[in-house]
Amino acid sequence: MPHQVFARVLSNDPIIAGHQVITCDAPSLAAEAQPGHFVNVLTAERSDPLLRKPFSVYTVDRDRGQISLLYSIVGATTEGMARKRPGEILDIVGPLGGRLFQADPRPNAAHIMVGGGYGVPPLVFLSRELRLAQSEPNITFIIGARRKDLLLCEAELIAAGVDARVATEDGSHGISGRVTDVLEPLLLEKSGLPVTVYCCGPTPMMRAVAELCLRLGVTCQLSVEVAMPCGIGVCMGCVLDLTDGRRVRCCVDGPVFEAAEVKWS
Amino acid sequence: MTTPNTAVKIGKLTLRNPIVTGSGTFGFGPEMANIVDLNKLGAVVVKSTSREARLGNPTPRIVETPSGILNAIGLQNSGVDNFIAEKLPFLRNYDVPIIVNLVGTEVADYVHLAEKLTAAGGVHGLEINISCPNVSHGCDFAVDPVLTAELIREVRKVTDLTLITKLSPNVTDMVLIARAAVDAGSDALSLINTLIGTAIDIRRRKFRLANITGGLSGPAVKPIALRCVWQVHRALPNVPLIGMGGIMSATDAVEFLLAGATAVAIGTATFVNPTAATDVAAGLEAYLVENGINDVNALVGAVTQ
Ligand SMILES: Cc1cc2nc3c(=O)[nH]c(=O)nc-3n(C[C@H](O)[C@H](O)[C@H](O)COP(=O)(O)OP(=O)(O)OC[C@H]3O[C@@H](n4cnc5c(N)ncnc54)[C@H](O)[C@@H]3O)c2cc1C
Ligand SMILES: Cc1cc2nc3c(=O)[nH]c(=O)nc-3n(C[C@H](O)[C@H](O)[C@H](O)COP(=O)(O)O)c2cc1C
Ligand code: FES
Repeated sequence: MPHQVFARVLSNDPIIAGHQVITCDAPSLAAEAQPGHFVNVLTAERSDPLLRKPFSVYTVDRDRGQISLLYSIVGATTEGMARKRPGEILDIVGPLGGRLFQADPRPNAAHIMVGGGYGVPPLVFLSRELRLAQSEPNITFIIGARRKDLLLCEAELIAAGVDARVATEDGSHGISGRVTDVLEPLLLEKSGLPVTVYCCGPTPMMRAVAELCLRLGVTCQLSVEVAMPCGIGVCMGCVLDLTDGRRVRCCVDGPVFEAAEVKWS
Repeated sequence: MTTPNTAVKIGKLTLRNPIVTGSGTFGFGPEMANIVDLNKLGAVVVKSTSREARLGNPTPRIVETPSGILNAIGLQNSGVDNFIAEKLPFLRNYDVPIIVNLVGTEVADYVHLAEKLTAAGGVHGLEINISCPNVSHGCDFAVDPVLTAELIREVRKVTDLTLITKLSPNVTDMVLIARAAVDAGSDALSLINTLIGTAIDIRRRKFRLANITGGLSGPAVKPIALRCVWQVHRALPNVPLIGMGGIMSATDAVEFLLAGATAVAIGTATFVNPTAATDVAAGLEAYLVENGINDVNALVGAVTQ
């Protein structure tokens, strides 16, 4: 259940330019968090900016009671996060999200993660949970970035034995192009197996992935990115239109939806 | 010292403490019941309910501005029949007065809603939203004392529930509307609803809200809300007021009580701190104890120059 935690910061280190990972002592969040959950963070001391901002849970250490967030420094909240020193307090509400990533339960399923930018961290969490739950799950992780220096989490995925594939728009690493340029041949490669694609990233990327999966008849789960003013289902500010005509709240009715459900505006 | 009295009266209702929820900021109950104990609140005021379901406005519907937010939700709700069938049974499990906020475009809509909700059982008060700024014609009643009086008189005829009129600050003279509502049978008044504003994205050179304008709430509006409460209280000292607008803490709540509010609503603060309403209730009680005040009612309108 969502609750407020004043979490002690344990570390807060840059990983690539403009991106940091903040790790906090938060046993109650570590116990509850599942892949797809997010938390709402407040760093302003007075009321400007007034609202919390959402961040996906990146890593969870249930034994030590720790969670971490991977964030891109883009505005007041993330600048405030970047200033936190070990020992200081991070004000968090979580875990948030009603519908999360659902691991494909079929025993021989191919799990394909497609992440871009800060859409990568929740999928790293999902891959880790899959590896904890199954012996040798079939996971392929496609990471997209504009340039090599903006690529997130490749080394840690490789270290964990995950088949990581990269697409950079300028061709500075991996294949030159977009994540869909890697995904389409991969789906053909896996065509004998039951396949589920899990995707999180910038909206245009998710739309392209969703449309490709729908065209090829592949199940695809998306974690949508919309502003979450409250994160707890009461403000109606985060709504998304679904293909069945419903207008739902992304925070509590999502943030994960099936590609076929999402009506793109 | 004994525990101070925190109970207040709003019309026929006795609230265990003066803290209620702001309509549209607390959902319909179930969302928040996981997070706060509803039985620790003075009353639960649910989101505006209309005759038919409404999808509301296109997105973006909420944007941040300095120390506040602009919202143009457009009264998204699933309609009164759905409220009675799906939401009210849950709320009946709690020992807390339930106040339903009503919205419509014509007098007949409000009368229909009031009749249904009175007959439903388990609803204790009706808050008449004459002042939602986010729908076309939404302000017709709120700006006109004659229309306000006619509306309240007709609703009064069909319900014996406590009737609260929610006033808009987007008028020239709030006291005029307040008096019209009370003379027509409103037991109490809520104030303020949001202030109409807008915001522009200079990079895209576009309005930031799809609806162009929205209602401003949060700490940015507090001084205006406090002034409105004080003005209406001074003109109508015997009418219970539910004050709201930017209340984030017990300190803010005490300011509203001193200005003349009998109860206060916590709105936008819940978005920032989900337990804001019960935190403010606890903080208010602590203030009474620390200051040796044995009845919260002693604070109401007690500000001096
Ligand atoms: C479910 C979910 C999960 C997320 N997970 C992560 C995550 O794991 N890591 C991560 O880094 N981010 C994540 N985000 C995104 C993150 O919440 C936002 O980037 C957040 O707004 C950052 O807050 P901020 O205060 O630092 O920046 P903000 O001030 O909110 O700025 C965010 C962006 O909006 C622009 N902007 C700000 N003000 C205006 C204005 N007035 N007009 C126009 N544009 C403006 C800024 O330039 C910037 O690009 C997630 C979002 C969602 C919905
Ligand atoms: C997102 C949002 C939705 C709201 N919806 C309603 C509503 O449906 N009906 C209503 O009477 N007031 C509505 N309000 C107004 C609040 O109840 C309250 O009057 C106002 O926000 C001022 O209080 P605050 O600053 O504490 O939020 C809404 C406010 C917000 C922020
Ligand atoms: S963020 Fe407020 S309802 Fe979803």
